[in-house]
Order: sequence, then C-alpha cells, then structure tokens
Amino acid sequence: MKLVIGNKNYSSWSFRPWFAMKVLGIPFEEILIPFGSPVGNADFKAQVGRYSPAGLVPVLVDGDIHVWETLAIFEYLSEKFPEKQLWPADPRARAEARVIASEMHAGFLPLRTECPVNFRRPVRTRALSAAAQANVARLEAIWNGCVARYGGPFLFGKFCAADAMFAPGVARMRTYGIKVGPETLAYMEAMMALPAWDQWCGAALKETWIVAEDEVDWPTVLTA
Amino acid sequence: MALNLIIGNKNYSSWSMRPWIGLKVAGIPFDEEVISLYDEGSRAKILAHSPAGKVPILIDGDVRVWESLAILEYLAERFSGFGFWPADLTARAHARAISTEMHAGFVPFRSECSMNFWRPPAKRTLSAEAQANIARVQEIWTEARATYGAGGPFLFGKFSAADAMYAPVVQRFIAYDIDVSAPVKAYMQAMTALPAWKEWRRAALSEPWVIPTFEYDWPEVKRLPAEAA
Repeated sequence: MKLVIGNKNYSSWSFRPWFAMKVLGIPFEEILIPFGSPVGNADFKAQVGRYSPAGLVPVLVDGDIHVWETLAIFEYLSEKFPEKQLWPADPRARAEARVIASEMHAGFLPLRTECPVNFRRPVRTRALSAAAQANVARLEAIWNGCVARYGGPFLFGKFCAADAMFAPGVARMRTYGIKVGPETLAYMEAMMALPAWDQWCGAALKETWIVAEDEVDWPTVLTA
Repeated sequence: MALNLIIGNKNYSSWSMRPWIGLKVAGIPFDEEVISLYDEGSRAKILAHSPAGKVPILIDGDVRVWESLAILEYLAERFSGFGFWPADLTARAHARAISTEMHAGFVPFRSECSMNFWRPPAKRTLSAEAQANIARVQEIWTEARATYGAGGPFLFGKFSAADAMYAPVVQRFIAYDIDVSAPVKAYMQAMTALPAWKEWRRAALSEPWVIPTFEYDWPEVKRLPAEAA
C-alpha cells in the first residue's frame, strides 16, 4: 500500500491517514508530493492527478484501488484491517465516532482558515474571530465529552480514526497558543506523546518549502 | 421503535434530502420531523436533538446520529440487507471517495446555486470556480456510470448512498438549467423518476416557508405552483 501525501509541515489532510496508519501499525510506503515555494511545484496537480482524479492529497493506493478523501480512506482501511479497529467496536460508540469525524471533515472552517497547520511555526498566540472561537469551544466540547464518557486517554478509550481526524486540530491549538481547559490539554498531551507525532513533526521541521497562504505572519516566516 | 429523522425545509435543505431519500429508496420506515430553518426558535429545536445544531439528525432509540455521511454509514451497518454501499470492494471504495468529496467539496457551486425545488429552471451567471465544480461533478457521474453502472441507471448500477449524496446536486442542475452531457442527463432522469424523488418534490413545492438568502430574485420569489409537482 502507498499513501500519497503533501508537505508534512502544512498538509493537515495528509497528516490524518498517515498518523492513523502509523499509530495503528499498518505498514505503507509514503509518496510525498510537495506544494509550495520558493522551490515551488507548478506540477503538483498533474503529479497528484496520476493517483487521484480529484487532484487532492491524500490518496491511498492499494494495488489498482485508489481511494482519495480521508474519511473514505479510513472506511477502506477499517474494512481491510478489521483487527486494527479503525472505528470503535461498540456500534453506538462507532456511530458517534463517525459523527464527529464527519463534523470535522466538513466543518470548523473559520478555525482552519485562521490557524493553518504549520508545525514549523513557534508557539505564538493569535487573535481569533468570534466564529473561530466558537469552533474552539465546539472542539473542546467534543473532545472532553468523549474522554469523559469513554474514559480516555483518547476519544473512545483507545486510539481510533476519530482521533486521527482531530490530530491537526491538536496541532493548531498548540501552534497558535489557544487557551484551553485542563481536560483539553490532557487530551492534546496524550496525542502529542504518541511516537508517530514526533516522527511526523520531526520530518515537517526539516522541510524547506514555504506556502505563503499558510504563513499567517507573512511576509515574515517564523521558524523555531 | 421506529426511526425518527429530523430534517429542515424540503425546498431548501440539501443535507436533509440525502438520508431521507436513502431511507425511502431502501424502503426503511421512519417518522420525520420538519423544522423550518432560520425561523424563530428553530435553532433551539435542533439543539435539543444535537449539540452540533445541524440537521439532519437520525434518532434510533437512544442513538443519535448527525452529519449525512455518518447517518448513511450508520444505516449501511444497521440495514446491511439493502446494500447502501456497492458490494464490490473497488466500487465501494470509489463510492465512498466520491461521497466524501461531495460532503466537504464544491463549495462555490453550492453557494452560488443553492438547492431550491420550487425555482422555475433558469440559468445564473456562475464564477469560474463554480463552473469547475460542475465539470468535476459531471466527470464523477460519467466515470462512475461508465465504470460501475452496468447493473442499472444509477452511479453504481443499483441505487446507493453515493446517489443519495448527489441527489441535491441533481436538483441544482435542474433549477439552474446547467448544460449537461447526454449520459449525465440520463442519470438525472433516473434520479427524478424515483417515487421517493417525486414525494420529496411534492412536499417541497407545497411548503409555505420562504428563506430570502436562498432566493436569488429576492424580494421576488419565483416559484412553481404546488400543482406542478
């Protein structure tokens, strides 16, 4: 199996399936197609287009099956590796996990726009719009509600696809110094303590490509 | 206990239409509750069912599921006999990919051509982004039909959750008189011929609630008469 991804520093969508597969121990080969400048890659669409007609990363390639869209990748992996329990075993918990994963998939636009994933950026607070603050409150409610009901340390006890969906959310909270409650912080710490987190983050910090739209301090590019 | 589906206006709520038409085509009995969106008190009514504050919401005993895609996955597991997703592994992966692409994508097209059943079909000037979305949707439908559609008139032959996800787009194509290829037109005709489609449309055309944001000729509201359904 191959996973086609974008830059580790910026690509929140790529992070999700990569992180899930690493944490759950599903082996794969990674193909990284960078976007950004000054190195630049005008050819990004064409290169990704070889793997997915939608022209978006991530794409999972399993033989002649090509799956794009993170949630669809998770459903595919869940069927292919039932023993890895991408979703919780209990039907009710599973329904809830899919609900919050879908909510993440199509939602939280203000927060995502104002706080792009950028591992290289040193932690600095940023003023958020009311809409982004409402997104933060909703994220905290989702995380803390799940941890309280299922016992933690992850959303449904053990790590699952829902956690992977929120991994970039954890990175955003951290990078932009967003004030959160102690329960939220405990969840974030559990996520960041996973070896796969360091592995991704370490690779992200070594990247040199710059995407101006994701650098909120542009033309300044803050680096640690 | 019967399933209960909480939905918004049938004329406008594209998200509500997705699980509704899926349930109907699958022949799964359910009760429905329509909450007219943007009305006074509608937000509180929705929040009483789901903390996300969005329709549709499926209630199955003490399980509450929202987000169309999660509802369709829930139904696929709960009513595995119907086959909400194609039986073939490759087709199923493809169906989920295009359903998910719909779930979070095509935002320019969606905002410039909001779903509206009673709008008499008429063209609108669209941005280049919306036009690119339309081209991509036609590519998705044509590719699915050509690759997986041999067993019937729908995207994967027989009706699946992917068709439910794209149902509101079919209506947008109609309402905004989008130019389409012959295979796309044939697919749209298969969708609009479904008894469930007709049932939804009939109900939409008789709704009293007007939402100005979704009426591009506002303050004029151009609407087909209820009898047109």
